[in-house]
Amino acid sequence: MTVTWQTLADALSLGGIYALMAVGIGLVFGVLRLVNFAYGQLIMAGAYAIAYASVWGWPSWAGILLCFGVVLALSVLLDRLVFRPLRTHSPAVMLVATFAIAFLLQSIAVLSFGQLGTVASTLGPLNQPWDIGGVEIRKIAIVSIVIAAVCLALLQLLLTRTSVGLQMRAAAMDFRTARMLGVRANRVIGGAVLISGLLAAISAFMLTARNPQVTPIFALDDTIIVLAGVVLGGLNRPIPATLGGFTIGFASGILGGGLPTNQSQYLPTFLFGAVILVLLVRPNGLFARGGSEERL
Amino acid sequence: MRRVVELAAPVALVLATALLGLAVSTALQTYFLDTLVKVAIVVALYVFIGNSGVLSFGHISFVALGVWTAGVLTVPEGQKNAIMPGIAHFLLHTNVGNAWSLVLAAAVGLAFAFAVGLPLMRLSGLAAGIATFGVLEIVNNVLRYDDRIGPGLNAFSSVPETTGIWQAAIGALICVVVAYAYQRSRYGRQLRATREDPAAASAAGISIYRQRLLAFAVSGALAGLAGGLYVHLLPIEIDSLYLDLTFITLAMLVVGGSGSLLGAVVGALAVGGLDSFLSAAENGVDIFGWHLNLPTDTSALTVGALMALVLVYRPGGLTGGHELSLALPRFRKDGDG
Amino acid sequence: MTALALDGLRVRYGAVDAVRGLSLEVRPGEIVGLIGPNGAGKSSTLNAVMGSAPVVGGEIRLGGASLRGRRPEDVARAGIALVPEGRRIFAELSVEENLRLGLAARRTPGGIESVLDFFPVVAEFRHRPAGALSGGQQQQLAIARALVAEPDVLLLDEPSLGLAPRLVDVVFDALAAIRERGVAVLLVEQRAQRTVALADRTHVLSNGELRLTLGPEDADDTEKLVAAYFA
Repeated sequence: MTVTWQTLADALSLGGIYALMAVGIGLVFGVLRLVNFAYGQLIMAGAYAIAYASVWGWPSWAGILLCFGVVLALSVLLDRLVFRPLRTHSPAVMLVATFAIAFLLQSIAVLSFGQLGTVASTLGPLNQPWDIGGVEIRKIAIVSIVIAAVCLALLQLLLTRTSVGLQMRAAAMDFRTARMLGVRANRVIGGAVLISGLLAAISAFMLTARNPQVTPIFALDDTIIVLAGVVLGGLNRPIPATLGGFTIGFASGILGGGLPTNQSQYLPTFLFGAVILVLLVRPNGLFARGGSEERL
Repeated sequence: MRRVVELAAPVALVLATALLGLAVSTALQTYFLDTLVKVAIVVALYVFIGNSGVLSFGHISFVALGVWTAGVLTVPEGQKNAIMPGIAHFLLHTNVGNAWSLVLAAAVGLAFAFAVGLPLMRLSGLAAGIATFGVLEIVNNVLRYDDRIGPGLNAFSSVPETTGIWQAAIGALICVVVAYAYQRSRYGRQLRATREDPAAASAAGISIYRQRLLAFAVSGALAGLAGGLYVHLLPIEIDSLYLDLTFITLAMLVVGGSGSLLGAVVGALAVGGLDSFLSAAENGVDIFGWHLNLPTDTSALTVGALMALVLVYRPGGLTGGHELSLALPRFRKDGDG
Repeated sequence: MTALALDGLRVRYGAVDAVRGLSLEVRPGEIVGLIGPNGAGKSSTLNAVMGSAPVVGGEIRLGGASLRGRRPEDVARAGIALVPEGRRIFAELSVEENLRLGLAARRTPGGIESVLDFFPVVAEFRHRPAGALSGGQQQQLAIARALVAEPDVLLLDEPSLGLAPRLVDVVFDALAAIRERGVAVLLVEQRAQRTVALADRTHVLSNGELRLTLGPEDADDTEKLVAAYFA
C-alpha cells in the first residue's frame, strides 16, 4: 500500500467533509432523537443548485449562494412538515419517515433533472493542483480542510460559549428537564435543524467541487458511510460524532486511494461490521463516555 | 369461525389478484407477478416487524440471499461459466430443480437470519434499525463484488423462468399461511405481548430475545423463499435488491398497517397496484381513450409521498392494525371496569 | 394576594385519575407543604402546574392569569421554577453551565452570581462537572438552578429524598431563607413531620384528594400525623 501526499490530502479533506456531515446529523439527532436518512438528499439538492447555476452561466459565488438558499429552505420545510408532526413518535418511526423522505427527494430529482446528471463546471478550477514545495495537491483538498477546520472551531464556540449552544447540548441530554427550565423546544430544534442545514450546504459545495458530476444519487453513498461513522462515534455528542465522521472519511480516503480496488471495494463490509459490533458492545458509540441513561 | 375469516381475507385477496392476473395480457401479467412476489416479501417483513414492533432494514438481504441461492443453483450448467466467470468450482457443478431451489432459498434465508439474529436480537429501537441496515449493506457489498460466488454486478440471467401466476400465488399463499400460523401460535402471541408491554411480558416469564429470534428466523425463511420466487421470475441483478426494494416493501407494510397480516397484504397489493399502474404509465398507457404518459420515477415519488403522509397522519396504516373479523364488538356490562 | 392558585385541578393518565379536584393557594413569602403516601398525586400536581401532565379539569393560576394548557417552557418563563424529583441536574455539564441553563427562564437581565453566595458549596465547585458533586451538593445545585430564574413560585419535588439528616437540615434551612425573599414555595415531601413544622400550611393528599390541612402547631402531634396518613 502506497500513500502519496495527494492521497493524504484527499483523505484529510474527505475526513473534514464527513466530520461536518456527522455533526449535521448528530445535532439533529441530539435534540430530536431523529436519524436523518434524508441528509444526503439535502446535500444532493444543494449540489444541483450549484450545477444548475453553472449551466445558467451564473458566477460560482451566486451558485454557492443558491445552494445555501435551497438547502436551508428544504431543511426548514422538512422540520415543519415532517419532523415536528412526528416529534412525539418513536425514533424508529421517525427513521422510517426520513427513509421515505430520502426516496421522495431522490425521485423528485429524477423527475426534474433526469437520471444522467448535470455538471457543475464553475467549480472546475478548484480541482486544479497547487504546487506546494514540489508536491502537487488539488486546491479543493486544501480548501476543504481549511473550511472544515474553521467550521468545527466555530461550532465548538457556538456550543460551549453561547446560551443557545448550551441549551442545545442540554436538550440533547435531557429534553424534558431542559424545557422545565424554560428552554424553548422549538427554538432549540429550529436552531439545530438550521445549523445542520448550513453544514449540509457547505458539504454540498465541497463534495460538488470534488466531484462535479451531480446525479440524483449524489452524496448517497457518502451519507450512508457517515451514518456509520456517527453511530461509531456516538450519536448525541457533537465531538465524538465529529471524530467518528472524520475517522471514517480519513480511513476511506487512505484505503480507497492506497489499496487496490479488489480490496478497497469491501470497505462498506468492514465499516458496517464495525458498526454492528459497536452497537452490540456499546449502544452509545465508541468515543462517548458510558453511563448515559438514554439508550439508542 | 373468527380464525377462518381472519385467514380467509388475505388468502382471498391473493387468489383474486392471481385470477385477475390470469385474465390480462402477458405484458400486464408481469406486474401481477411482481406484485405477488412483493406480497410474499411484505408478509415476511410483517412476521418480524409487525409482531415484534422492532424495525428491520435487513430483510431485503435475506431476499437477496434467496435470489442468490435459487439463482446459482438453477442456472444451467452449460451457461454458468458465461454468466458467472469467476464462480467457485463446487457451485459450478451443483444444480437442483425448481422446487428444491425454492426450498433451499428458504432454508438459506432461515439459517442466515438465525445466525444474524443471534447477536442482533438483543437490540431494539434505533440500534436495531441501524444494525439491520448494516446487515443489508454487508450482504449487498459482498454479493455485488465477490464473483467467486455469483454473477457480481451482472444480472442472474438464464435462470428458468418458472414463476408464473400459479407459482407466484402459491408462494405468496405459503407466506400468508405460515405468517398466520405463527401469529396464532403460542410463540406469536408471546411476541405480540412483548410488543404491547415489554416489561409485563418479561415479568410473565417471556424471553423477549428468544421470541424475537424465532420470529426473525421465520421471517428470514419467508424472505428467502420470496427471493427464490423472484429470481425465477425475471433476470434480476443484485443492485435491485438493495435500498429501492427495502423502501418499497417498507412503504407497503407501513401504508397497509404493520400491525396486522391483513394490513401487510392490503398494503402490498394497494401500493403494488399503484406502483404498477404508474410504472406502466411512465411508458405510456391508454385508459378509456386517454393517453397517459408520465415522466420517469413518478411512481417512486407518489409512493414516497404516500408513505410519508401515512406515517405523519395515519400511523396505523390503511387497516389501522386490525384483522378482518366477524366478531361483534363486545358491549360492556353494567358495573364493568 | 395569591401567587399560585389551583382550583379543582384534575389530572388523569389514561384511565387513572391521579388528582381529583384539588384546590390550594400559595402566597408570596409562604411555604405550603404537600404530603401524603406514594401515589397520592403529589408529583402529578407539580407536573400539571408545569404543563407536563394531562390536566382534564380545573384551573391553574399564576397571579390571576391562567396557565392551563401552556407548554413547560412557557410556564417556566412565566415565573414558576421546578426542582424536579431526582434533581435532574446535567451531570456532564459543569456546575456553572447548569446554573446558566436556569437563566433561560429569567425575565430580567442578570447573571448567576446572586445564587452563588446563597449556596457557597455550589460556588466552590462551579467549574467541576455537576456529576462529580455529592448527592447533597447536587440537590443544592438543583435548587440554585431554579433560583437563578428568580421565580415568583418555587416548586420542589421531594428535595430531601436520599439525603443524610445533616444535609436535610441544609435544604430545609435554605427553603426558610428562600421564603424570606418573598418567593411562594410549594413543597412536596415525604418527611411529614419536618414539612409540617416548616410550612405555613401543609395539605395532606390521599388518592388524589385533599384530606386534611395541618399547621405548624400540629408538627409534634404524632397521632394527628399518623391519622392523616392512614385515614
